[in-house]
Amino acid sequence: MVEVAREPETSIEPPRPKSRRSRVVAGVVLLLLLVLLPLSRPVVGPTFHYLMQMATIALMWVTLATSWNLIGGYAGYISLGNNVFFGVGGYLAAALLVYQGWSPFLTAPLAGLVGLVLGLIVGLITLRTRGPAFIIATVALLLMAALVFDNWELVGGANGLSLPLPGYPREWARVPFYAGMALTALGSTWLSWKVAHSKLGLGLRALAQDETKAEVLGIDTRRYKIVAYALSAVFPAVAGAIWGYSLTYVRPSVFFTISIAAQMVLMAIIGGRGTVAGPVVGAILLVTVNEVSVARFGSSELNIVVTGIILIIVLLFFPLGIVGSLRQRRKLPAFLDWD
Amino acid sequence: MIQTLILGVLLGGVYALMASGLTLLFGVMRIVNLAHGAFMVVAAYIAFFLFTELGVDPFVSLVVTMPTMFLIGVVVYRTLFPRLEGSDRYSEMTVLLTFGLALIIEGILGYVFTGIFRSTNPSYNTDAFLIGDLFIPKGQLYGSVASLVLILALWLFLNHTKTGYAITALTQNRTAAQIVGVNVLRTSTISFGIGMALAGAAGSLLSYLFTFFPGQHWQWIALLLSLIVLGGLGSLAGAVVGSLLLAVLAAFVSQWLGSTWSPLTFYLALFAILLVRPQGLFGEKEAV
Amino acid sequence: MFLRVTDVVAGYRSGPDILNGLSLDIEEGRTYCIIGPNGAGKSTLLKVIAGILAPRQGSIRFRDEEVGGLRPDELLARGICFVPQDPSLFPKMTVRQNLVMGAFLEKDKNVVKERTEEIFEQFPLLAERANQAAGTLSGGQQQILLMGRALMIRPRLMMVDEPSLGLAPQAADQVFETIAGLNGRGITVLLVEQSVERGLNVSDWAFVLDLGRKVFEGPATEILADPRIGELYMGKAPTIE
Repeated sequence: MVEVAREPETSIEPPRPKSRRSRVVAGVVLLLLLVLLPLSRPVVGPTFHYLMQMATIALMWVTLATSWNLIGGYAGYISLGNNVFFGVGGYLAAALLVYQGWSPFLTAPLAGLVGLVLGLIVGLITLRTRGPAFIIATVALLLMAALVFDNWELVGGANGLSLPLPGYPREWARVPFYAGMALTALGSTWLSWKVAHSKLGLGLRALAQDETKAEVLGIDTRRYKIVAYALSAVFPAVAGAIWGYSLTYVRPSVFFTISIAAQMVLMAIIGGRGTVAGPVVGAILLVTVNEVSVARFGSSELNIVVTGIILIIVLLFFPLGIVGSLRQRRKLPAFLDWD
Repeated sequence: MIQTLILGVLLGGVYALMASGLTLLFGVMRIVNLAHGAFMVVAAYIAFFLFTELGVDPFVSLVVTMPTMFLIGVVVYRTLFPRLEGSDRYSEMTVLLTFGLALIIEGILGYVFTGIFRSTNPSYNTDAFLIGDLFIPKGQLYGSVASLVLILALWLFLNHTKTGYAITALTQNRTAAQIVGVNVLRTSTISFGIGMALAGAAGSLLSYLFTFFPGQHWQWIALLLSLIVLGGLGSLAGAVVGSLLLAVLAAFVSQWLGSTWSPLTFYLALFAILLVRPQGLFGEKEAV
Repeated sequence: MFLRVTDVVAGYRSGPDILNGLSLDIEEGRTYCIIGPNGAGKSTLLKVIAGILAPRQGSIRFRDEEVGGLRPDELLARGICFVPQDPSLFPKMTVRQNLVMGAFLEKDKNVVKERTEEIFEQFPLLAERANQAAGTLSGGQQQILLMGRALMIRPRLMMVDEPSLGLAPQAADQVFETIAGLNGRGITVLLVEQSVERGLNVSDWAFVLDLGRKVFEGPATEILADPRIGELYMGKAPTIE
């Protein structure tokens, strides 16, 4: 018998939906941008330094916001003190540099690890309660850290530590920090994406909706919460290590302020709490707005007034944030839909 | 030793006043008011203004600060909070909302008054009663007594007036209160106003007991929040007991380790209570 | 018509419609039982009439006045009271204080006192525990207290949501005895009860709900024999009347 090969009726693999494709394209474009930016020096000339600095800052905030999102967005537990880990990472790397001579670029991963462990310990204690008490505990944590570091002689107290300059050639001085921060931001966003698409993410969303029901369904809410919190500490710590180095000094006022905590939360909320792309959008947006307003109006107390007003307006009228609201109205462009 | 104890108790009385407003807000409306400290500082500035411009004694200023803050509270509550009603995550939303409020208040105060440390300085601030070996600062004593009177007045109000019952009912069971005809919106508004009035009173006292500046409210709110978690969120008795206990403890810590570390007492106590009894001294298991 | 519900649509927060155009009529002085499978909207209906949930569409007329969307305290003033399913006592208040709270809207203190004594007379069980904290009472006692509290305002229409839920049979018996006596006091009763037999036993008329609508109704004594009931509870598609 001759077997006649037949074309299958339908192709086995369904055609790639347009959204998937555009998401991949978006990802590639972003990566290209990140890689090409430092190479733009001949094109942008003297503003290169400023551009690198801005990009580094933006990427730092992307890291902070996306990491915060793990506990504040997915799990719905608002932490007003996540920058504690930011500071701990910064100080750890700084101390190791000053006392041991190790480059923060090498110790940054260690900082991340320390962040994880610290997050676990803190989480174990503070996540014994629900919403309101947890938030209060995080505020206390932040102020406690500020107090401790302000008075700790080993790390310079209120004056902090001065870090030696890395000695990079002047023209490219900012690039290593940019690169480090870019990697950190990528890592943080990747983690956020990974968690969102995992069993952990599902469980977190369930307990964010209704913790009692989630428990009744058999979800180990305590474990999930603690894991989310610990994970949310990793990349901020790494970012702290790099940031401190890039500033060439670490001081309590660099890391342990309520203002930083407020910004982190605000970025995630404006962008869209609980979505993957939200904090990224929010961070970039706010950094830009901040820059513009400081350039125009100068920095003053009115800055925090504006932050407060924006926070309240977003909370009352756009609680889902930009990405969240767009998604709800089914108007979310595919390249932003990373969930 | 007794000296330290007395100083602690006197201070604790004032903390209790501050914490009582905060815990009332949570108990009745599940609001975590991160701006409570900021409102206290606003009242302190009012008292300061009255003192320096018109020579009004801080205690007399209570007559101004309390009603003013009550009204501000009513306006703030009605404008901002009803929109959040019915949300599953009401408490968390109030945290963010009041966070924003605190930032706004701090910014405005800083802009108007700048960051200079201020304080009112009535005569009794530096005087003291001497009983045997014990040195009882007049200012602290008066402040503590005033606090006690106000807390007592609050307690009487809650237990002997119709509105007070309504407030107590709301604290215990919101649905039940609705069903028996309590006007939830009106009662909540009044409660918020009362909470703010208490903050106003605290601010008047604060103006001479401590130096203050716009950014200081974060230390206050962290301390007060720790206190109410310790006492049990929503419990007036808890706020009073917790304040007295911790103030005394902090006084001893201050004595032994220096005053820089005394705030740490409150934070550590908070973490300790979370470990041992997360619902606080007088709190109920599932309330949080 | 004492109470007329017309084409009411309602749901929770921004969720889907639970009531999908529900209509029914209630005459004064009788006891009505609402039955139906889970999710039919029975409790939701009571909550809408009680003012705890506002209707999205439709009308609710009580003694010729449109009351849809009014607040619970406004409805109480008109004599509509609600005894919900969740324990809605004030746990830290005493039995007496809970009763007093029941007459919250009553301004005259003497009237409140009188009524409290009346309730204690009718329910010796409550009188015995007058100064006990409500939270310490047993399930059955709490239900009786809930009803006593509802009676404080001398309601015209009392709505009771699943009174026997979680109660031991004896306690449930006591509760239903009380319900049976309400008509004699001039109170119209609207009852939601999962335990169909018990509910129908104390009622004159029954409404059968499914998927947010009334699918049929009839005298309480006859409804159990209606074959459509079996279909409804066993899952066959009901015909809408």
